[in-house]
Amino acid sequence: MEMFFHGFMQRAFQASFLISLIAPILGLFLILRRQSLMADTLSHVSLAGVALGLLIGVNPTFTNILVVSVIAIVLEYLRVVYRTYSEISIAILMSAGMALALVLMGLNDGGATLSMNQFLFGSIVTISEQQVWMLLILTIIIGLLYLIFRKPLYILTFDEETAFTAGLPIKTMSVLFNILTGITIAVTMPIVGALLVSAIIVLPAAISMRLSNRFNGVILIGIVLALIGMFSGLVVSYKIGTPPGASITLILLIVFVITIFMKKILHYIKREKLFKSTDMSVD
Amino acid sequence: MHYIEVKNLAFQYEEERILENISFEVGASDFVMLTGENGAAKTTLLRNILGLLKPTKGSVQLSPINRLGERLVIGYVSQQVASFNAGFPSTVLELVQSGRYQRGKWFKKLDKDDREHVRRSLESVGMWEMRHKKIGELSGGQKQRISLARVFATDPDLFVLDEPTTGMDTNSREEFYKLLKHNSSEHGKGILMVTHDHEEIRHYADKHIELVRKEDSPWRCFSMDSCKELSKPLS
Repeated sequence: MEMFFHGFMQRAFQASFLISLIAPILGLFLILRRQSLMADTLSHVSLAGVALGLLIGVNPTFTNILVVSVIAIVLEYLRVVYRTYSEISIAILMSAGMALALVLMGLNDGGATLSMNQFLFGSIVTISEQQVWMLLILTIIIGLLYLIFRKPLYILTFDEETAFTAGLPIKTMSVLFNILTGITIAVTMPIVGALLVSAIIVLPAAISMRLSNRFNGVILIGIVLALIGMFSGLVVSYKIGTPPGASITLILLIVFVITIFMKKILHYIKREKLFKSTDMSVD
Repeated sequence: MHYIEVKNLAFQYEEERILENISFEVGASDFVMLTGENGAAKTTLLRNILGLLKPTKGSVQLSPINRLGERLVIGYVSQQVASFNAGFPSTVLELVQSGRYQRGKWFKKLDKDDREHVRRSLESVGMWEMRHKKIGELSGGQKQRISLARVFATDPDLFVLDEPTTGMDTNSREEFYKLLKHNSSEHGKGILMVTHDHEEIRHYADKHIELVRKEDSPWRCFSMDSCKELSKPLS
């Protein structure tokens, strides 16, 4: 219980709660639009944003948001250019982001190595009040956008051509979605780390997709799973001193494995019941 | 009133000419069938008409309004929808309901009238009993049916259908053509449909456009012969 008296842990739980609300929404759309790796690309690119901020002495979160937003637009352009091989854009930008981050860090003469480590692996100690406020604003924006635009988003995700013929501005919607994903990654990254931020966004939705047939159901179950993963990950991280991003990811992966296992057992039980009832009716 | 006006359309992909000299109109109450051999660029032509591709030459005009002066609503059924195969988390009912969004319901709740439309649309394609099934669990023919149900639920002014009867048996096809005919003749809907069943459908359609290969072209290029008015059997 004593961990709840620390200010940094209170901020960590507040931030985790907010991340749990938005991650499954973004995660589901990323998965359905075959852009799961986009989050990974943006997290690599955001390292360059952080390195730039540290180099020029500006708050890294702000430079990060700027860099990631620009790259999110470029990603959408490349996705359309390489429509059939959309992973090309991911490969190009992921390596470009990493290379740029390394060069900028090199220019900084190693002075920012400690800060970079925090951004790479995440840290619950460094979450500031400002970051929690930024997350709160972002959560409100994403929540409202989802509530207002969930019907157009449903069609856009189902089939872009259907969305286009229905008169939806698919380009603008795609770019805005990418930018929002980018900003979320930029704001979430200092807490969970650049290397695992995409897993935390994608995993809850990936698990809940196996548990619900309905669109809203997937998001609601995803939020519950994200809360379980985030909170228990934070506790583990505090108790045994592991990086928060890694602890949360591992817990979500355990939930993923349990879900698959339970579904298999349920499927088996259902099948056995069906066979038994068929046998009885034959008798 | 013309919902679609195609004038001297040509389309080429990189250096290769694919379509040339295409001109026709589809008006309110017109039931037009578009045929051609496999690879005759029928889908490419539809995609040009809908604005998904840009014609290299010529023009496509889609009327912004319907015959009542309201915004024209288009219902499009493509040959293949990728999300159907990717475990998209949606029930049949959710998907067909989404057809109503185009009817001014993007930001409004669906009402009793919308739900009635959805029910009738699902019943018309024989899928009402399957309404709670996940769409990814359906067979190819069933997926095609719910795509059609979705378009019927939209109740569009203009139907653009790309081989909509794939996977349907003869009776279902017959029922479907009757339903389309009823929509065009009784409710003034425009219909442009790509099909291979031109013998079956000729009793229902008003016009027939056939894409034929241009003999004098060095590319596999298609053009239209003419837009034939179809004679109806005496009832």
